[in-house]
Amino acid sequence: MRLFAAAALGRLTSALTRLIGRGGSALPGLIAEKLDPHLVEKILGDTPVVLITGTNGKTTTTKMIVSALEANDRKVVTNPTGSNLERGVASALLDASSLKGKLDADVAVFEVDEAAVRSLSPRLNPRVLAVTNLARDQLDRYGELQTTAGHVATAATHAGRLVLNADDPLVASVANTTPVSWFGGTPSIRERMPDDRSLYGDTTEAQPPEADALVVDSQIDGDGQIATIRIDGTEHRIRLQIPGVYNAYNAATAVLVTRLLGVSAADAIPALEAMEPAFGRGQVLEHMGRRVKLLLVKNPASLNHAIEILKGITEHHRVLIAINDEHADGRDVSWLWDTHIEDLAATSHQYLAGGVRAADMALRFKYAGIDAPALPDFADALDLLVDGAPPGATVYIVPTYTAMLRLLEILTPGASRTEVWK
Amino acid sequence: MITVVHLYPREMNIYGDTGNVIALRRRLEWRGIPVRVDAVGVGDEYDLLGADIVVAGGGEDLSQMRVADDLQARAGAVRDAVEAGVVFLTVCGTYQLFGHRFVTADGEVIPGIGVFDAETIGGGTRMIGNIVIDSPVGTMVGFENHSGRTMLGSGQAALGTVVRGFGNNDTTGEEGAVVVNAFGTYLHGSVLPKNPLFADDLISRALRRQGESGELQPLDDSVERAAAESAASRP
Repeated sequence: MRLFAAAALGRLTSALTRLIGRGGSALPGLIAEKLDPHLVEKILGDTPVVLITGTNGKTTTTKMIVSALEANDRKVVTNPTGSNLERGVASALLDASSLKGKLDADVAVFEVDEAAVRSLSPRLNPRVLAVTNLARDQLDRYGELQTTAGHVATAATHAGRLVLNADDPLVASVANTTPVSWFGGTPSIRERMPDDRSLYGDTTEAQPPEADALVVDSQIDGDGQIATIRIDGTEHRIRLQIPGVYNAYNAATAVLVTRLLGVSAADAIPALEAMEPAFGRGQVLEHMGRRVKLLLVKNPASLNHAIEILKGITEHHRVLIAINDEHADGRDVSWLWDTHIEDLAATSHQYLAGGVRAADMALRFKYAGIDAPALPDFADALDLLVDGAPPGATVYIVPTYTAMLRLLEILTPGASRTEVWK
Repeated sequence: MITVVHLYPREMNIYGDTGNVIALRRRLEWRGIPVRVDAVGVGDEYDLLGADIVVAGGGEDLSQMRVADDLQARAGAVRDAVEAGVVFLTVCGTYQLFGHRFVTADGEVIPGIGVFDAETIGGGTRMIGNIVIDSPVGTMVGFENHSGRTMLGSGQAALGTVVRGFGNNDTTGEEGAVVVNAFGTYLHGSVLPKNPLFADDLISRALRRQGESGELQPLDDSVERAAAESAASRP
């Protein structure tokens, strides 16, 4: 009866929030979990669960896994982009179940925040827990990296199978007696994966575990890339619609996870190739006759990934790096000084500094030897970005989370609403 | 030639502390003053008396513990260097260790090296947000994020007084500490890029110690000032 009431009220809230235009939301889950704290377990029953956690790449990896499973006729329940706390998981389950709380899905795939995974994993006993990477994140929100690694290690003890990043020593350290599938890159690929190990005192160059899915190559291809991944000795060339070596790692993760759920690499790959970028993660939008490409950043590691992509593009582009300091971005912008902005000085791109903390970004550029105007007004920044580019050209925006939402309000009015409730 | 030592660059770097080294390097280079940067980590031998400016930052708890032991081993050398007028900028975690001791929330005592007559007590609420202080070089801005409360001894000079934010603690309105040319502060953000007058003050002190006038060729700091104003206007 409790489950029924909780599920029904949750569904009602869900319908209401949609009606008033808040989009997909964590609110129904929040309310329903208050009524029945075991709602999530009850709805799931015996449905196999996959949890994806880590600092960066959760959303894209989750989307890849879901795409591959759905393309192979699995009915999947998943949480919408960014709604990666317990209440987001509960909301997703409510949406996919009947009024009586009966779930209509073969498998559940959830992206979960590194803190939420600690409490969710013991409740859900996931069949697979995948950890993308563990890097320094917004210190005012998440606290210390060692603490985060501890949360993930606790979660790992409740999983049936682990899928771990062999190249990330902190991720590798959460391995326990549970069987592990490893993903990683060749030494030359690893060099192209900026890490921030030097930021937390790790200077060891330990031999990484042998990878079951090994990224051996990543070549720029249009807006995306051709990633070559060796899985059990067989090389697969995957034409991804998203750039960046880190997305080749995400694809390797997705292939390992789906394989554990009975979908072969050969069956998963066409879906990965067909997959469009997740919200703001390599997404391309049209604006004033120009192509605007979004590369969301959250922390030093993800900005360094964006820098790596920009370094790899030889033709000239206009690039706006937009830094906000709202709660969701992290209030402290000190992390800008931990990124390899200096590397951009050698590129042929033209840079603009935007966001609420445009002045801080302009200052960071200045000390890297790059002259970039500070444009705190979002409309002004966007105008100047496209005005200087010829029609049909691609311009880049590298925004933090809320800066991206502000820019999307101008680029595609209304589209960001589904992302707002977090 | 100015030698900047980045002390514990791997262990104590959590709040963009590298930015302080970048700021010193650039502001020296822009004036045509030769600069070299040496990284000194845990266990590395280095004669601090040969340094002109030593910069050290904040770290995670685990790193701070490791550094605390190493710092004890160099305590005498650091105090000698401070006495000799070597310029030190210690931020957050190293500032705490440059006091007498850090008492953690669990009551554990991490001994410091007593450069500053100060003691830090951990625990309680986190003091977090943008901070504005008045200092001898003018208004300074930064971001603070610490739960340790630092209390200065009665004769210990502070770096400045808090205009907005917390500073050393949530009661005295003081921020940071100064002994000879050694500075301790909770301001990061990073502190030197956004506070060019403070960065230049450190450089002038180092040059004066070399027997120079310490007069610096003025730079266009409009980008720096804009960033400082923007930070000061944020919560």
